Amino acid sequence: MSASTTPRSPAGQAARRDGRVIVAAPPGVPQSPLEDSSRRTRWTVAILLTVALLWTLVPLLWMLLSSFKNRTDVTAATPQVLFAPTLDNYRNLFTGSNNLGPYIWHSVLAAGISAVLAVCLGALAGYGLARTRMHGKKHLAFWIISTRMAPIAAIVVPLFLIFRGLGLIDSIPGLVLAYLTFNLPFAIWLMSAFFAEVPPSLEESALVAGCTRWQAFRTVILPLTKSGLVTTFVLCLVFAWNDYAFAVVFSGPNSQTLPIAASQLVTQTGIDWGQLTAIGTIVVVPMMLAGLAVRRWLVTGLTLGAVTGE
Amino acid sequence: MAQAADSSPVLRRSTRPEAAAPKEPRIGFEGKMMVPGLILLAALSIVPFLALIAMSFSRVRLLGGVRLEPVGLGNWVRFFTDPDMWMSWLRTLIYFVLTVGLEMALGLGIALCLYRVLRARNILLSLVLLPMFAAPVIVGLLGRYLTDSTFGLYSWMLRSLGFSGDILGSPVGAFTAVVLMDVWEWTPLIALITLAGLSGVPQSVREAAAVDGAPGWMTLRYIVFPAISNVLLVALLIRSMDAIRYFDIIWVTTNGGPADATKIVPIRLYETAFRFFDFGYAAAIGLAMLAFSIFIARTFVRLLDTRGLTR
Repeated sequence: MSASTTPRSPAGQAARRDGRVIVAAPPGVPQSPLEDSSRRTRWTVAILLTVALLWTLVPLLWMLLSSFKNRTDVTAATPQVLFAPTLDNYRNLFTGSNNLGPYIWHSVLAAGISAVLAVCLGALAGYGLARTRMHGKKHLAFWIISTRMAPIAAIVVPLFLIFRGLGLIDSIPGLVLAYLTFNLPFAIWLMSAFFAEVPPSLEESALVAGCTRWQAFRTVILPLTKSGLVTTFVLCLVFAWNDYAFAVVFSGPNSQTLPIAASQLVTQTGIDWGQLTAIGTIVVVPMMLAGLAVRRWLVTGLTLGAVTGE
Repeated sequence: MAQAADSSPVLRRSTRPEAAAPKEPRIGFEGKMMVPGLILLAALSIVPFLALIAMSFSRVRLLGGVRLEPVGLGNWVRFFTDPDMWMSWLRTLIYFVLTVGLEMALGLGIALCLYRVLRARNILLSLVLLPMFAAPVIVGLLGRYLTDSTFGLYSWMLRSLGFSGDILGSPVGAFTAVVLMDVWEWTPLIALITLAGLSGVPQSVREAAAVDGAPGWMTLRYIVFPAISNVLLVALLIRSMDAIRYFDIIWVTTNGGPADATKIVPIRLYETAFRFFDFGYAAAIGLAMLAFSIFIARTFVRLLDTRGLTR
């Protein structure tokens, strides 16, 4: 239980939970397992990792390269590695009839607002969930997480009818609400995992010093979970930004997001792969950067706190 | 568990140094903190859930406002007697086992390799993680580009190896392709979680095994795997949950085709609702999927519970 928790820092350089000690090695200190000293093992590892990296990176690099190719190079029967780079694909995305600007704006708005709301409400509810001792806490926690795990296709159908009734189809608020169906339960669980890492004795001291519960939360506890707030925000942002299933059903001309723009390039007459790879790059790169920025806390985030990692 | 039934606000401030948050009779500070989030979540989950149930027993008319006409068990009878539906479930099961199985195996392999790398591990890990943040639609469309029969990079490679033919055009090829796209996107997640678990295995135990002369595979089998089994379990369950949820990749690559080869249940549901506008039947399929996912989620929470991984 959390009573025995004594983290050196709330970010969790070393966290002790259930007797498992997970210590992040200081950078530069080798933590070599003894058995990998043999030369053969080292070669095997190097080869396997190279294959894994090629498997991972080739599609992404190919997308990036193709986005700078002209029409003939993109669809050349033999893959072109050396070519005269051009910015035409990107330029075409922002000029002409299907200007990408509004799509980007819709994506930023819908994903951003939904992530902010999820973090705010999630921080409050997550704190409550982490500290409460009410009966049936487990059932409550389970209900919260089960809403996150529900199949998207099963949620979209009734939500579509409800949104139609409420006039929320083709509106940013509609998308924000739709995204909250998965971001809010995620944020609540995740924030409660981060709050559980903060020793309750800190609130105690604050209360003794004369704070109200709210003041203790605001001024003592919340600042300690800054990394948790940022991680939650980034992950919610990524989930919402990448969403396609909700956006394709709920959005219209006034609210279409970037993934929709990408899928709309697929037409009966063919696909402009140059533009498509350019959109792909625009969609994917910001989220990769955001994701890597919170990499230290990703394990906690993506396992909802069930595994505490480096 | 705190036993005290009641405590006045005054007392609560100063006493009980050991209790994290003093127990309150009804709704305390913690409860109030939860209220806004939970009300919104209830509105977003319970209302659609009830609507789903109502819809599954009705015919849904969209023209001139939404109207539900009760049809009794019609949708459910259809659900249980539709042979195409059973094929979809079977396909879903195969898809699920293949993607999650491959992701677990490859993720574990990559994590074990990364764990042996001392320098540049962080950079390598970052590079390996990249696909995880890519939007599934883009992954699907990129997959179409790479496997295009005339100019796709991967089909060109396969052609040089002697395989020809349209990958997404043949049932087996399309199924393999959508599985591999999902594996490409989500293996990094397993690798990330497993690597965190490996870093938690006490160094001393491994060293002791090595000093005792245990060969590498034995250390792996008897020391490392038992030590990271909890973490592997979490990785497996997290990935299972999401594998059931998403379908974007298939939707944009093959749309369930060719010849239904990739028509897993979510695709069928989507198509029933938004192509044929048969919302009643779609709702029945949705409820069945929901029941299945809740079953898995229950298993998830129970397993974590018995292993003491929940707080």
